[in-house]
Amino acid sequence: MISQWILAIALVLVGLYLLRAQRSASQQAIVRLFIIIAIATGFVAVVFPNLTTLLASFLGIGRGTDLLLYALVVFVLFHIVHQYRRQRWQQKVTAELARALAIVRAEIEDVKKPSGN
Amino acid sequence: MWVIVPIFNEGEVVGPVVQNLAHHFANVVCIDDGSSDKGAELARQAGARVLQHPINLGQGAALQTGFDYVMQQPDATHAITFDADGQHLVRDALEMLELAKSERIPVIFGSRFLDKRTNPGLWKRVVLKLAVLFTRAFTGLRLTDAHNGLRVLSRDALGFIRLEQSGMSHATEIVNQIAKSKLAWREYPVEILYTDYSRSKGQSLWNSVNIVIDLLLK
Repeated sequence: MISQWILAIALVLVGLYLLRAQRSASQQAIVRLFIIIAIATGFVAVVFPNLTTLLASFLGIGRGTDLLLYALVVFVLFHIVHQYRRQRWQQKVTAELARALAIVRAEIEDVKKPSGN
Repeated sequence: MWVIVPIFNEGEVVGPVVQNLAHHFANVVCIDDGSSDKGAELARQAGARVLQHPINLGQGAALQTGFDYVMQQPDATHAITFDADGQHLVRDALEMLELAKSERIPVIFGSRFLDKRTNPGLWKRVVLKLAVLFTRAFTGLRLTDAHNGLRVLSRDALGFIRLEQSGMSHATEIVNQIAKSKLAWREYPVEILYTDYSRSKGQSLWNSVNIVIDLLLK
């Protein structure tokens, strides 16, 4: 079924995102585009509720609700991974800051009593 | 030449360890990784230069701060990393430094598995051997002991080290960065003194899972 392929690929993409090392401009752009598309799609789905069912049956999923559920699962996973990466990045920055502070403090101490070890 | 001793709530043991080091080495720097005890003060009284992280970051970050500090000292030719829990012998450190200087080897790793002095016990031996296999696969360096806190690093070697893993994955990270630097290295047999204290602070198998995931996820 097409839907199984799409879902499997989406999950693999989330996994790959977890393994990506750096935040790049393209990545940021993709995330933003993704959000815009999600909002637009949501809007269309609200205005034309039948469309979700139509799309679902085209993809081989029974009901529109199921399609939404699957999309939600993928999105939640993506969100978890995204936050995890952000947090790790934040930790790294905090560590740099704290380490720099330790070094600067030592330098200040050295200036205050130059012979002191 | 500087000895780098990361400390985190090691007040019970750090005093005598630093005192002993200061007796044999002119420069000892302790990096207090946000301890909540008096360890930093005790290390200072014992004769160490003490740098303090305002918050707890992990041993890898403490070592990197130590490396940064040593690199700032114009006369520093070597750095020795030495655990604060008293499991290393100063004599081993002295011999390793001597070897590094006399044979001009930029990196000397301590290994507890090159002679029969150390008996880690079966379980710990299994965990450590798995770590060795992982480190070999990950870095390509054929070490016999992957998580030994005793190392001698020349100034050149320090220039290649940039620890990004704040936690306990730094041991493999150091090996990896040395492997990439293509610098010459050697292992030297050292003894690990297992005390109840160092055992209680030792690494568990759970921690090895964390280390593997840390290194894979960057």
